[in-house]
Amino acid sequence: MRPFEHVNAESLQEAIGLRTEYGERARLIAGGTDLLGMLKDEILEPYPELLINIKTIGELGGIRKEGPDLSIGSLVTLGELAKGPPVLKHYDLLCQAARSVASPQIRNMATLGGNLLQEVRCWYFRYPKRLGGPIPCLRRGGKECPAARGDNRYHAIMGTRGCLAVCPSDAAVALSVLNARVVLKGRGGERTMGVEDLFGPMGNALDPDEILTRILIPQPPEGSRQIFYKFTLRRPIEFATVSVAVLVREGEGVCEEVRIALGAVAPGPVRAREAEEFLRGRPLEGGIVREAAELALKEARPLRGNAYKVDIAKALIRRALLGKGM
Amino acid sequence: MNYRYLGRATPRIDAREVVTGSKLFLDDVRLPGMLIGKALRSPLPHAEIREIDVRKAKEVPGVHAVLTYMDVPPWKVGMPRHYPVLGKRVRYVGDPVALVAAETEEAALEALDLIRVEYEPLPAVFDPQEALKPGAVRLYEEFEGNEVPLGVPWFGPESLKELRVGDPERGFSEADVVVEGCYSYESFANPLPPEPPGAIALWEDPGTVRVWLTSQGPYFDQMVLYYLMDRKYEVKVVGVSCGGSYGSKGMIIPIALRAILLARASGRPVKFCLDKGEHLSTFTLRLGTRFEGRVGMKGDGRVTAISGSWIINTGCYSAVTQAQVAVGLGEAQIAIRCPNWDIRPKIVLTNRQPSGWIRGFGGQELKAVLFPLLHEAMARLDIDPVEFIQRNFVKPGDGYFWRDGRWWTYRGVDFAEAIRRGAEAFGWKEKWKGWLKPSRVEGSKRVGVGVGVHGNADVGEDVSEAYLRIDPNFTVTLYCCVAEQGGGQRSNLCKMVAEVLKIPLQWVRITPADATVNPYEYGLVGSRGTYAIGSAVIRATEDARRKLLEMASRKLGLPPDALDTEDGVIFCRQDPSRRLTWREAMGVTRTLLGYGRFEPDFSLTNFLVSFVELQIDIETGRVELLRVVNATDVGQVIDPLCLQNQLNGCLGSAGIDSALFEETVLDPRTGRVLNPNMIDYRWRTFLELPDLQNVILETPFPSHRFGAVGVGEIATSPGPAAVLMAASNALGRFIRRYPLTPDRILEVLKERSRP
Repeated sequence: MRPFEHVNAESLQEAIGLRTEYGERARLIAGGTDLLGMLKDEILEPYPELLINIKTIGELGGIRKEGPDLSIGSLVTLGELAKGPPVLKHYDLLCQAARSVASPQIRNMATLGGNLLQEVRCWYFRYPKRLGGPIPCLRRGGKECPAARGDNRYHAIMGTRGCLAVCPSDAAVALSVLNARVVLKGRGGERTMGVEDLFGPMGNALDPDEILTRILIPQPPEGSRQIFYKFTLRRPIEFATVSVAVLVREGEGVCEEVRIALGAVAPGPVRAREAEEFLRGRPLEGGIVREAAELALKEARPLRGNAYKVDIAKALIRRALLGKGM
Repeated sequence: MNYRYLGRATPRIDAREVVTGSKLFLDDVRLPGMLIGKALRSPLPHAEIREIDVRKAKEVPGVHAVLTYMDVPPWKVGMPRHYPVLGKRVRYVGDPVALVAAETEEAALEALDLIRVEYEPLPAVFDPQEALKPGAVRLYEEFEGNEVPLGVPWFGPESLKELRVGDPERGFSEADVVVEGCYSYESFANPLPPEPPGAIALWEDPGTVRVWLTSQGPYFDQMVLYYLMDRKYEVKVVGVSCGGSYGSKGMIIPIALRAILLARASGRPVKFCLDKGEHLSTFTLRLGTRFEGRVGMKGDGRVTAISGSWIINTGCYSAVTQAQVAVGLGEAQIAIRCPNWDIRPKIVLTNRQPSGWIRGFGGQELKAVLFPLLHEAMARLDIDPVEFIQRNFVKPGDGYFWRDGRWWTYRGVDFAEAIRRGAEAFGWKEKWKGWLKPSRVEGSKRVGVGVGVHGNADVGEDVSEAYLRIDPNFTVTLYCCVAEQGGGQRSNLCKMVAEVLKIPLQWVRITPADATVNPYEYGLVGSRGTYAIGSAVIRATEDARRKLLEMASRKLGLPPDALDTEDGVIFCRQDPSRRLTWREAMGVTRTLLGYGRFEPDFSLTNFLVSFVELQIDIETGRVELLRVVNATDVGQVIDPLCLQNQLNGCLGSAGIDSALFEETVLDPRTGRVLNPNMIDYRWRTFLELPDLQNVILETPFPSHRFGAVGVGEIATSPGPAAVLMAASNALGRFIRRYPLTPDRILEVLKERSRP
């Protein structure tokens, strides 16, 4: 691995200051489970001169109530979430998503903030420098996305223009269904946005000086059923081929509240609002669920190599709504 | 037979070292002043180097050597020699363009960044059938149509190049059905041993180089290096413990030569090891194969004729692919009794990383594409595939043309009982519902079963030699150039020695796999460990024992054949009170040396039949391997745990999983490997092991002292065709290519037009 400086930030202020000063030449490091691999493969340009360790910033940790919301610090590890602590009793979707990530060792290091902000897994973007040099792509300032005419079996099936990489975060899909917001802090102060808005086709919405400090989740409806299904080629140490998060509350045989989000289909988690609308007031039965799954994928425009993801997404939605196991 | 060690689990001789981490692997070898070697790798799949400027790279502090094609002798590897160790033309993405040796890895990487190269891009060809077309770009001037000539000089003048036997046309006319089709096995799976390939070179003087290697055959590699370096230098190879190979490290030679070149240029020892990314995108993959042909079959399962074209994609060079073709054709005859053959192989060069030497060695690749065609014929005739295997696998008195082109009559055991016992353990009769019928349907899940078979007469290939030294202080030393491959192979040879001499196992030592100390040894390849190497070791031990008894006979005044020895005591069988200890017989200033040699003999084969059960979700395309039952007859178990683990290796390392998800993905436009990491290259984790059972029979093979033949490399080989059969049965239609990832399953399900 090529050399870099490493500094422990004592405070959020110091970290923001260093980020402002170094800009592109510095990177934040928390769990490092994504960053270190990228450094080893030398896929970041420029290669960072400085790593700012934010694990030393106390205020970024912990889970607490904040008004009507639950606030989860960005440094909370996926391992902690995966345990399903009592404070997350009503937010089990997030625990399920955390459990589906990687392996125990990685979950023990990886943080929730890092999971949301990890780089895309696109195999063109991540092509290692030492095996013939990077592949030009839109994210690298190139003119076209090589996946468009290349092997795109894992790429986007929705919003398929520009960069075709998909959001690799499992937590984002769960948080989308939980109507979560993220809090960003920078030089100019703090701002809050819906979790879907964090993701753009060319990267996340953070300004260069901003740090994701915490995630705010409103109380989900009482008695709701929450399910996260992640389809992978193998079970552990895998990113989603497609994932689905569903939250349902039924009453008197019909859906009172239903939320559906899809993962690994687009640059960010995608809420299936039309399908949600359709399901409200209807019973969760075969034909209706089938129609809802069709509606959820209505906007899908698969590429040459990934039409199968549409089939998988529909199957996962049906199964999650019917609660019959993946 | 009731043996003292054979057939019983004994601690491995290196158990303590393995567990405590003190075992010496290549990465543990640290020589004073040793440098790190790295390669600058080509970004293009095919190009000529027009200009290359290394001046800045040479100025980086800590850099001791920077080499390009202009600085090195024109050494080439391959058969015939064609692939340059460091050339002016690059033939795949990742082909070395320049080599650097530096004091640290960081300095080496910095130097690589400062090398400027100008390329003249050439058209690249990735598909073998495209490469064969007239007008296709040539990878090498000498190979027209990108075809590598068939035949292997060291297999003899008649070495098997194709299989033309009998009268295929008559065979087809006698058949009850004739089926035509095209199958492809092009997962390009990487056997992916945990330890990446590497070498360390040290020039002891200007004419002598010592090389530490992760090798399957250190002595053989020493010989190969000597010849490839134009017989100008003495080469000394030391094989360290090998962190897994699965055949692939047979292709370590170009890596060793790069270390040798850097060490010579820098005047320092140089370690040249691949990292995981390089291992995945530049080192040996399984051959890609396609078979387009015809089979004729009678209603009772007799095969009347097989013909077709077998296209083999060997990537950017052929190391031993011709040998794989020869062995693969031989193995086809072992598994299929057929009087009329016409198989025409073509080995084709393409602009991808090399494919070649991997366990299964041509036979697995041919079976994966030939057996599915036989399955289609069986389906038409409603023949149970287990009965087909029973009828067609070689039996004593049958024969086959082997790699040397000679006809060999099989003189081993009948494997019918192993097939029967395997089928019984698997529950074949209950699960088999007929062709293209799932064994079970539950909602969207379809369960199917399949079976495959393999056998390899390379158990007796090539030459082995061993010495056995008896010391009067009750130790014996086995001189034998075998590097541990992780399967306990060295321990097992020691067990054979202890068994012959009837001594405690702790008395037996084995020399390091240093080719300057040990006699000739071809290596742990071709499933030859138990039969070929084992026989040489046993003969050396018997020879030493004979000398010991002769020595004692003079002192005891008894003929040698009246004597026996056990636990270091030589005694008269009739009157055990007439006895001498080894020390008394030998004195303390003497050692005894026995010599043993094994000569090639292709009249035996090992055997494995694999039954698989898998489940397919037809809505998501997920394929889940539920159960595997392997059955074999090894003659005599040497070590039950080692054998179990050898068989448990049927899944990964380019075996069963190469039919399911192991796959090297090449970008169709740039020729780059898109999954050169351990996340995107899928491999099975311990959390996903299927129910796995091994049925092991022990019917003695008379030509081995202990009746053993072993199982060797073939654990992976029956699997792929069995998986394809099971998936076809689950889905109710024949699937014609691998691997069975969800996208392919869903695609097959959408092709409604096909039966």
